[in-house]
Amino acid sequence: MANQTIKLGSGLRQDADTISAMKAGVLRFSNPHKYWVESSQKRYVPCAGDAVLGIVVDCKADNFLVDIKGPSLAFLPVLAFEGGTRRNIPKFEVGTLLYVRVVKANSGMNPELSCMDSTGKAAEFGPLKDGYMFESSTGLSRMLLSSPTCPVLEAFGKNLSFEIAVGLNGRVWVNAESPATIILVANAIMKSESLSAVQQKILVERLLKRVQ
Amino acid sequence: MEQRLANTWRLTVNEKKFIETALHSDLRVDGRRPFDFRELTVKFGREDGSSEVQLGMTHVMGFVSCQLVQPYRDRPNEGTLSVFTEFSPMADPSFEVGRPAESAVELGRVIDRGLRESRAVDTESLCVVSGKFVWSIRIDLHIIDNCGNLVDAANIAALAALLTSRRPECSLGGEDGQEVIVHPPEVREPLPLIIHHLPIAVTFAFIGDENRVVIDPTHFEEGVMGGRLTATLNANGDVCAIQKAGGDGVMQSVIMQCLRIASVKAADITAKIKKAVDSYNTERTLRKIKRQPASVAVHVSEPSQTEVKELSKKHKEKSMLKSEESQSDDMEIETQFSEHDGTTRRDSSSKSFVGGPSSWDPYSKGVDFDELQASLASRGEVMPVEKLEKSRHDKPYEGESPNLLADSAAPLLAETTETGVEIKREKTLKDAVKPKHKRKKKASSNTDAS
Repeated sequence: MANQTIKLGSGLRQDADTISAMKAGVLRFSNPHKYWVESSQKRYVPCAGDAVLGIVVDCKADNFLVDIKGPSLAFLPVLAFEGGTRRNIPKFEVGTLLYVRVVKANSGMNPELSCMDSTGKAAEFGPLKDGYMFESSTGLSRMLLSSPTCPVLEAFGKNLSFEIAVGLNGRVWVNAESPATIILVANAIMKSESLSAVQQKILVERLLKRVQ
Repeated sequence: MEQRLANTWRLTVNEKKFIETALHSDLRVDGRRPFDFRELTVKFGREDGSSEVQLGMTHVMGFVSCQLVQPYRDRPNEGTLSVFTEFSPMADPSFEVGRPAESAVELGRVIDRGLRESRAVDTESLCVVSGKFVWSIRIDLHIIDNCGNLVDAANIAALAALLTSRRPECSLGGEDGQEVIVHPPEVREPLPLIIHHLPIAVTFAFIGDENRVVIDPTHFEEGVMGGRLTATLNANGDVCAIQKAGGDGVMQSVIMQCLRIASVKAADITAKIKKAVDSYNTERTLRKIKRQPASVAVHVSEPSQTEVKELSKKHKEKSMLKSEESQSDDMEIETQFSEHDGTTRRDSSSKSFVGGPSSWDPYSKGVDFDELQASLASRGEVMPVEKLEKSRHDKPYEGESPNLLADSAAPLLAETTETGVEIKREKTLKDAVKPKHKRKKKASSNTDAS
């Protein structure tokens, strides 16, 4: 135990022999001795590998400037698309919603984004059309992405058909056939942040009963 | 430049489109209907004249303070009213420190206009010495969280703060009778402001090509809307002000429809504000009454004056009051008690009046016992006038007492009976002197124009 090295993530800090928490949240660890504190906040701290929802703010010659709720705007290189060349640069108007991946996130410089997965395929990344996007906390995003499917989504998924894209930066996009469904799902998700699994199920059941 | 880009909040194309398409089927993104208001909560701080309003997620705080100033030359006997807004960057990243945005200025102006043009606040009652001293009322509005429709929320906050604010009582004294004495709140109960009616701002947004009307727009809807109209009305349906600054043109019929809806909403909101203010006032009187027995105990412990007998009597009364308070849940017992209380007090007072002018009942609300004891002789002649004035000020309360009673306000009941007793007592003592004449005399000598 003594000569094991551990890695500290966000929210932890080492002072000589003691490790102290720098923010409120849940202490998490993954197996080869990585520790970090997970908290729920409105601001997003960019981290390489995260899938996020960004809004195009400006189009420059080499980069799109994208807002990902971080401390600074992120750059999306115009060539960071599947099969991207100088010839076929995509055109995004300001305000387009993109599902992107953070590639580089170093302190002191703008984060870099990409619309490809690590193998160079488009995967699911790219612009999102129609639907409705709402902002919540990073904690809610993580809850929606957790591996046994989150009770709200599971309960809704059995009864309604809708599309959802969750960014780790706390942005959630929902799309469905009718606007009523979108509004229902979006508001239920926003409300479910502070509810337990059972409460979430009850909420969804009640809402569905009211609609049908 | 880039930092500002990062801080400005922006809507996506998706949201814009969705808000418009959802409105085609009369739906709004937060699940409301087009003419539904968000949930409104009004809270008050511990201090008088501070309010906290939450309209959905929009959060505004209001503070009212007052100061003695020289009036404007063209209006020598009118107090002044001013509105200041503070947009903190905490509320919205697009607000910048030290540089009021266009919206901040507009917000202040709309609220100021609603209050001023409709003469909701009685400014003439704020005059102390004509041309020299008037009260200047300052309303500070702090935006704590911006989730749309700041105008309505800030307006409600301003009204709630005004309704609960109190200005210190002041009188003229000194050698030449021209010196203004401001009485601290411990000495004399501060006076509430006179508010004639409540001008409520109701905001409509016009969204999309067809100018669909929605009430109380959220932040998102404000980002999409083509135009906005703020109508300020009171509960009677009188239009106090309308603000329609640029944006899409609107049909006259639509404006009339908006005004009709707004008058209904204004009545609703007025009722909500009044309810909140009433419960605050009840709590305030409760607090005041609970505080009194302690001060009496202190005085009883120093047996120096001839009033000890009287004091003990009063103490008894107070304990009775207290018991009354404890049984506030039972109305019948309560009224019995208060009747009983009233009679005993009348007895005691009539007895004590035998003692002469020094036996003015110090147990009247708003008059501190210390001060009274200290300057009993000197103030003996001022007192009746003051009391008269007090009862005059209390009239609106008396008028409202029936519905207040419904809220099981035992102390308030006690208060009203008390004022009733006061008036009676005044008659028994000074029935030789006409109260009207008294008031006039005071007006000439003191010119306390409140």
